[in-house]
Amino acid sequence: MPKFLTSINAISWYFLFPVIFIHFFVVMFPSVLSLLLCLTDWNGFGRINYVGLENFQELFRDRVFKKAVKHNIIWTVMFLTIPVIVALIIAYLLTGIKRGQLFYRLVYFFPYILASIVNCLIWRYIFHPRHGLGGWFENQGIDFLAKSPFAMKETALYAVAWVDMWHFWGFLVIIYLTGMYQVDDSLYEAADIEGATKFQKFRYITLPMIRPIFVLSLIIIIIWSVPTFDYVYILTMGGPAYSSEVVANHLYSQAFQRMNVGYASTIGVMMFFYVGIIVGFFAILRRMGWEV
Amino acid sequence: MNKILNIFLTFILTAFFATSTFAATKVVWWMESSADTDPTVQEMMCDAFNAEQDEVELECVFKEDINDTIRPALLSGSGPDMFDTPGASYIKIYQDAGLVKSMQEYADQYGWQDKLLGWAYNSGVFDGELYSIPKNYETMIYFYNKTLFEENGWSTPNNLEEVESLAAKIKAKGMNVYAYGSAGWQPTHEHLVGNYFNTYAGPDNVYKALIGEKKWTDPEFVEAIELLRKHMVDEGYWSGDLETYYSLDWDDFNNEFATRGSAMLMIGTWGFNVTATNFGETSDDWDWNPLPILNSQAGSAPNYQLATGGTMSINAASKNADGAAKVIDWILSDKERALKVTGSLGYGAWLLPLKYTDADFDPNIDPRQKRFLTEFAEASDSGNYGYTTWTFYPNDPGVHIWKDMEVVWAGDITPLEFMEESQRLWDQARADDALVPVGKR
Repeated sequence: MPKFLTSINAISWYFLFPVIFIHFFVVMFPSVLSLLLCLTDWNGFGRINYVGLENFQELFRDRVFKKAVKHNIIWTVMFLTIPVIVALIIAYLLTGIKRGQLFYRLVYFFPYILASIVNCLIWRYIFHPRHGLGGWFENQGIDFLAKSPFAMKETALYAVAWVDMWHFWGFLVIIYLTGMYQVDDSLYEAADIEGATKFQKFRYITLPMIRPIFVLSLIIIIIWSVPTFDYVYILTMGGPAYSSEVVANHLYSQAFQRMNVGYASTIGVMMFFYVGIIVGFFAILRRMGWEV
Repeated sequence: MNKILNIFLTFILTAFFATSTFAATKVVWWMESSADTDPTVQEMMCDAFNAEQDEVELECVFKEDINDTIRPALLSGSGPDMFDTPGASYIKIYQDAGLVKSMQEYADQYGWQDKLLGWAYNSGVFDGELYSIPKNYETMIYFYNKTLFEENGWSTPNNLEEVESLAAKIKAKGMNVYAYGSAGWQPTHEHLVGNYFNTYAGPDNVYKALIGEKKWTDPEFVEAIELLRKHMVDEGYWSGDLETYYSLDWDDFNNEFATRGSAMLMIGTWGFNVTATNFGETSDDWDWNPLPILNSQAGSAPNYQLATGGTMSINAASKNADGAAKVIDWILSDKERALKVTGSLGYGAWLLPLKYTDADFDPNIDPRQKRFLTEFAEASDSGNYGYTTWTFYPNDPGVHIWKDMEVVWAGDITPLEFMEESQRLWDQARADDALVPVGKR
């Protein structure tokens, strides 16, 4: 047997082969197929007709797609601020707790391990106009939450995002906490000698020291916000009147309800490029010497 | 020794060929799953079929979201011998792709056209050949709390003026006019749109629009949508207001109706079972009526909208198509058995569109349900019928009807803009040859 076939490098590839093989057929091949399908009018079953860039032209005329993109941007901004700020504060406060910290970590992390359908049903019930808080307040003679925020077009997107954030922020607490525990104690001791306040220690020691983890969390949030789907699908189906429609929901509707698989592939390709740009942006920052 | 071996091998080979030759043909059928009905269907259909004959062995497999499940199976050239679909518009797509087998030779052989109601048979005919048979038929009606109506001296309405006058009286009593909600099934908006098309614009106009002789942007359709918008948004007929309508699911609104939160329930005939069950737990009585006519151009007598709730077909790749056809023929051949099955499901499922007569019914049947079955058969036979969106609309315009109705209710587009988009999608579907069959009126 030739020596290169038994070298350490070759053996590594043998072990990697099954994963690469599966990845090729499950991820790569459908992705490439999707790139081709966006140039067709395929309905998912029959003849495939080449339509050139017609789907892309349609995309820019599609008012629902534009609305969905806007909602995805709002969604991303919300996730980049509210859960991040809350998780940073809570994680920092938790570092000061010596006894019972595990209990808090469990409580904060618990929603993250629940299935999305469970989280959604809990909150749908809480906001139910008859059985939830609205009904309870009504019985007390108070007109508060009489209408479910999921059912009002002004609040639906924010209400769904709230539920998703409630499930997500505990995850951020855990990763920030892990980062904070890696900060060298001597830095804090030096700051104490200099008379630094708690906020100053957080601002000038903790935050810079956990920057790699912090930036990683931002990248995760931005990338995960693009295909966000389940919470919107379960709670509002993108309604009322597309007020909570996000891009992945629009893709699903086009592919599986309207049977416009070619057009849905175009939406998928746009999502792919968007994620590519985000990843490329952070790659450039890294090349410029940023610790990301 | 050789002799013993020969005898043994002969025995083995004979047993093998006998088993292969005389073994029953196995037919696998993927059905839409419903936890409430699956055990009954398994027992009264699948097991009963297997017990009655030994030529074909039927295996029923109940699947959630059958359309999502069957699609990859058919595309891969495998899948079951028989399968359900949600409706005719899906069959059209499968037929175009060559994934579903023409059943015309079996229909001719077994005389299925004579057994099925004409409109139901025609709903599965594409390019002159039969591709699907409805498993269930349904229509839109309204239930009302009979006791409540009698206590208050209210009469059931027959026209728009009476509907609006009754609604005002019901609201004055602190109740909602209709119990309903879309939280469990967002596409239910299309039920309401279909009701207003058929009772305001009228079935003749809907038919003309379906076959392209009229535009969906014509005034009667736009006015029908405007009236629905007014009743939903301005008047809050359904569960009090639009937001509550969006929040209530199946259990919520059925409970609201049975507990006098609402006086009426506008729904499909699949509501018979739950209404009878819920009212059985109260001291109130219920009854039903066809939907009132809201405009004189919709005719003088109430019409029944035609709808098929699920279809059965044979996979083009099936190697046991003959066996599958025998299963279908067995199902269609005994009206008494068919009524027994649907009766045990509260007439909400497996109501096969067969030509029933009075003599076919169990004498113990609830007279209200029997009245529906006979009146519907008479009305549809005499041409007094309308059209539901989920049976006669192609996919894209069908989705538009329920998805974009919310946009009208939100005030983001006008009823005319809504119907213009509808017309555009219909034009596109017509150009793509994606229309579903509509029998001649």
